[in-house]
Amino acid sequence: MSDDGSPADAPTTGSLGRSVRRKEDQRLVTGHGHYVTDVELPRMRHVAFLRSPYGHARITGVDAAAAREAGYRVFTGEDFAHVALRAQSALPSYVETDQPVLAYEKACFAGEPVAAVVAADRYRAEDGLELVEVDYEALPATVCAWDEPTEPVHPEAPDNVLLQRTFDAGSVSDAFAAADLVVERELVTNRHAGNPMECRAGVALWDAAAGKLTFWNGTQVPHIVRNMVAELMGLPEGNVRVIAPDVGGGFGVKAVLYPEDVALCLMAREMPGIPLKWVEDRAEHLLAATHARDHRYLMKAGFSAEGRLLAVEADVTCNVGAYSVYPWTAGIEPLMAGGLLSGPYKLENYRCTVRGVATNTAPSGPYRGVARPASVFAMEAMFDHAATRLGIDPIEIRRRNVITPEDIPYKMPSRLVDDSGHYAECLDKALDALGYDVLRAEQERRRGTDEPPIGIGVALYNELTGLGRAASAGPRMPFRTGHDACTVRMNPDGRVTVISGVTSQGQGLETTMAQIVADAIGVPYEDVDVRIGDTDEALWGFGAFSSRQAVIGGGAAHNTALAVKDKVLDLAAGLIEAAVDDLRIENGEVYVVGEPKPQISVAEVARVAYLESNRLPEGIEPGLDATRFFDPIRGAFAAGAQVAAIEVDRVTGELRILKYVCVEDAGRAMHPQIVDGQIAGSIAQGLGGAMYEHLVYDEAGNLSTGTLLDYLMPTSAEIPDMVIGHVSHPAANPLGVRGVGEGGTLGPNAVLAGALHDALGIDIDTLPISPASVWKELQ
Amino acid sequence: MKCAPFDYVRASSVEEVVKVLAESDGDGKILAGGQSLVPVLALRMARPSVLVDVNRIPGLGAIRPSGDAVEVGALVRHSRLVEQTNHPLLAEAARWIGHTAIRARGTAGGSVAHADPSAELPVVAVGTGATATVAGPSGVRSVAAEDLFLSALVTSLDEDEMITGLRFPLPTRWGFAEFARRHGDFALVTAVVTELGGAVRITLGGVASVPQRAAHAEQVLADGGTAREAARAAADEIDPTADLHGSAPFRRAIAGEMVRRALAQAGIGQE
Ligand SMILES: Cc1cc2nc3c(=O)[nH]c(=O)nc-3n(C[C@H](O)[C@H](O)[C@H](O)COP(=O)(O)OP(=O)(O)OC[C@H]3O[C@@H](n4cnc5c(N)ncnc54)[C@H](O)[C@@H]3O)c2cc1C
Repeated sequence: MSDDGSPADAPTTGSLGRSVRRKEDQRLVTGHGHYVTDVELPRMRHVAFLRSPYGHARITGVDAAAAREAGYRVFTGEDFAHVALRAQSALPSYVETDQPVLAYEKACFAGEPVAAVVAADRYRAEDGLELVEVDYEALPATVCAWDEPTEPVHPEAPDNVLLQRTFDAGSVSDAFAAADLVVERELVTNRHAGNPMECRAGVALWDAAAGKLTFWNGTQVPHIVRNMVAELMGLPEGNVRVIAPDVGGGFGVKAVLYPEDVALCLMAREMPGIPLKWVEDRAEHLLAATHARDHRYLMKAGFSAEGRLLAVEADVTCNVGAYSVYPWTAGIEPLMAGGLLSGPYKLENYRCTVRGVATNTAPSGPYRGVARPASVFAMEAMFDHAATRLGIDPIEIRRRNVITPEDIPYKMPSRLVDDSGHYAECLDKALDALGYDVLRAEQERRRGTDEPPIGIGVALYNELTGLGRAASAGPRMPFRTGHDACTVRMNPDGRVTVISGVTSQGQGLETTMAQIVADAIGVPYEDVDVRIGDTDEALWGFGAFSSRQAVIGGGAAHNTALAVKDKVLDLAAGLIEAAVDDLRIENGEVYVVGEPKPQISVAEVARVAYLESNRLPEGIEPGLDATRFFDPIRGAFAAGAQVAAIEVDRVTGELRILKYVCVEDAGRAMHPQIVDGQIAGSIAQGLGGAMYEHLVYDEAGNLSTGTLLDYLMPTSAEIPDMVIGHVSHPAANPLGVRGVGEGGTLGPNAVLAGALHDALGIDIDTLPISPASVWKELQ
Repeated sequence: MKCAPFDYVRASSVEEVVKVLAESDGDGKILAGGQSLVPVLALRMARPSVLVDVNRIPGLGAIRPSGDAVEVGALVRHSRLVEQTNHPLLAEAARWIGHTAIRARGTAGGSVAHADPSAELPVVAVGTGATATVAGPSGVRSVAAEDLFLSALVTSLDEDEMITGLRFPLPTRWGFAEFARRHGDFALVTAVVTELGGAVRITLGGVASVPQRAAHAEQVLADGGTAREAARAAADEIDPTADLHGSAPFRRAIAGEMVRRALAQAGIGQE
């Protein structure tokens, strides 16, 4: 790395591949970011939601008379009973169910909104909540997805199963019969969630005269929100404007349309001209924003004596909570778990049944890494266990099974196609950085001494990123998320405005989109500005999820910029009377082949395009702009390896991370610092999930971890320094990029559980790993 | 998560505090650093009719050595306790309270009055045999730390009384050990070892509803036992309850280990 953080072999011209100064940082780090919370409008009023204190209860009466008498505007479930959120999928076993905007017949999880109060400020709105009387008749609650339900969450699904699917390839029974070793484990992962720094927030304003709704929403998916809100409210889509201003983290939690969002918009229509604002607090967030990763894996794997993986049979149950999350459905976690369980390993015989089971808990939704932090943990546990039983080194057993570049394209047993194969290379590099041999020697030296034992853990994974229309077909939802649009406008001064369909919750998309466009046209990075997050500006973008934006939004930006570049060149060719094929643009100047000096500036070309039609060559229209879509059709797998060394305090059960290493293949790293930031941040979240974060319900369905006093988020003090390394194998898309937004979360569960197994010989079957759980295993 | 309405009085003297509290019929609350009170208000778990802000009262912010003790004004912030050098045990304990922002605001008087069984200062108060100076309608009285903590978040202070200062005796030897899930968290277990007038005290936080002396373990040491033996005795004599962060046996084991570490730091009972 050089001083500016860019690799030594970075290109000398252009901005891609260099850690240029981030466009958004001036405002974000100087406190000038503008979040939904900062939206202040004339006549604005504030909303607070009354939430069910029961995990499961019939609502027998709602009495808002006292609140209304005190001057509050109150909305209850009856008011919006005609609207329901109904996540759709064409998968055969899927049971469609409704999620009400405000619960009215029954409440299905503690924290579900039941009524809303509007007041001059949030304090008064919460005073108003105390005046609304709701009568509940408690029903038995189900909180564990693998317990028998006594009272189903939805009558349509008496067994609470909203979706079940079996992946089947080869013959597992034959393979098990031939196996020298069969390993069986029951693994349970911990419910936790994204917990972005900024909670959810919205401001809705209905303009009755124009019939137009404006919704400022801290969302990752403004166009999807527009589409869904328009449909639910029966509005022309062009009359709905969704604005996602600065958004303080999302991690998937904000890729969902929530009942609170819809309630806010519906209430705004009832109160024309009055902007309604709701800013979620952390207690609400922990209760009612989507949760994730509450899974059980019944795993069985067969190996040959040499450690070759012969078969995997798995039964995966995902607790999807009270509702099928809108619009992603209850399939989001189970389908991902079943599709990617075998990860980067070669496997022919695979049978895996996955199911999404409703319970009286907050709905589960997308969270960075969707299901794979759990499925990677389950798969790697098979290898760690088998390695011990077969007397094979845990690194070696993985080498014997991993997909290699020679196997590419490799059709996984779930029929996804791995286009990477660079796992062993990542692993080698990671072990080098860890100092594997030295640590193994130190581990050996400590055996039999009083010193804390050392353990080394490893995880290999394939992060499926940038899913095009073919790769995103799995969940069979009524839409395919394979494409994004971009508009590039060159202005009369030669500077460029990019209006992109991507969204940013801190990932620096303004920067990367500007880099892509600047380099594609040949203008300085400083001359490109990017506008995102407003559906009245951008034509279309699905938004931020599935590590898709660098690949898809980036591809769209690249292709659009090339289209604008062609227009610039056509016009320039006419102006300077040269052949267009002889022209190139560099640093905002147009050169003719063989001429060392520029012949005309881009700015002059742009001026002509808009202001001097008298100079326009024959057949060329005024203006320099283009809009293009891009869809990569398939996805790009990003290979990753994480390894760590830990030491364990045998008395307290505490583990200390001595060194943590991650090597990933980002393809071409457009902005190395942003790439490293994504990897570091996602590993930190993965470590949080592995060691600290745990959403716990009691048997009645009350959340026991309702504040950050009990729900432990890792702070910088808990996160070790990490070593981040790269391999670089460009993917088959216009920029050669692979997504890196989520991969980091995939490793830590498996790495730490494996390291504990290595250090102490204990099997970690239940997450999170806490001092208490390690201590218990040691007794 | 916004507090219910309340009246606010910014008091300029201790007398005024006592007067306003007395007039509120037990419905008033002192606001010091606000680091414990404000979250409780925001959750509407407390709904005082009046908050009496004591932050501007002069004369309550001093740290003063006095003979074999150190006097700490009620408004001394945790961060000042960390910085001072007169009472090294207090400095060490204060370092373990929360995070920088919390230590910058939270006060010694507030921490002791709040009586959280997992908080550091109450354990040090009991461990050092501290006394609190308490002002009330009938004048000023002194309360020994042992007599102050009745149960979790409950003290023997009357509703119209205010702690104005604390006197922490200086131990001749001391040790401090704490176990928490994360840096800055309330302790799962805190062990404070103090030698005062030749006698060794072992005081534990987080294992009962109030700071608890490990009397049996102290006896083991007095009888010439080792730190390990005392640690085992301490683990045996407590009766911790399980919570999300660990079972009772786990807490017992951790308590023993923290006692061992604190004794090692104090250089007491070492083989
Ligand atoms: C995130 C977080 C982490 C924390 N971690 C820790 C920790 O690890 N260890 C720890 O010990 N504490 C911790 N705290 C609490 C912190 O130390 C508080 O500052 C302290 O407990 C209370 O002091 P205060 O001055 O803020 O009191 P306030 O919050 O203002 O008041 C607390 C209570 O004491 C009463 N009170 C205040 N002053 C007096 C007085 N002089 N006389 C009589 N009654 C009074 C109030 O009426 C109120 O009932 C944490 C707090 C937070 C928010």
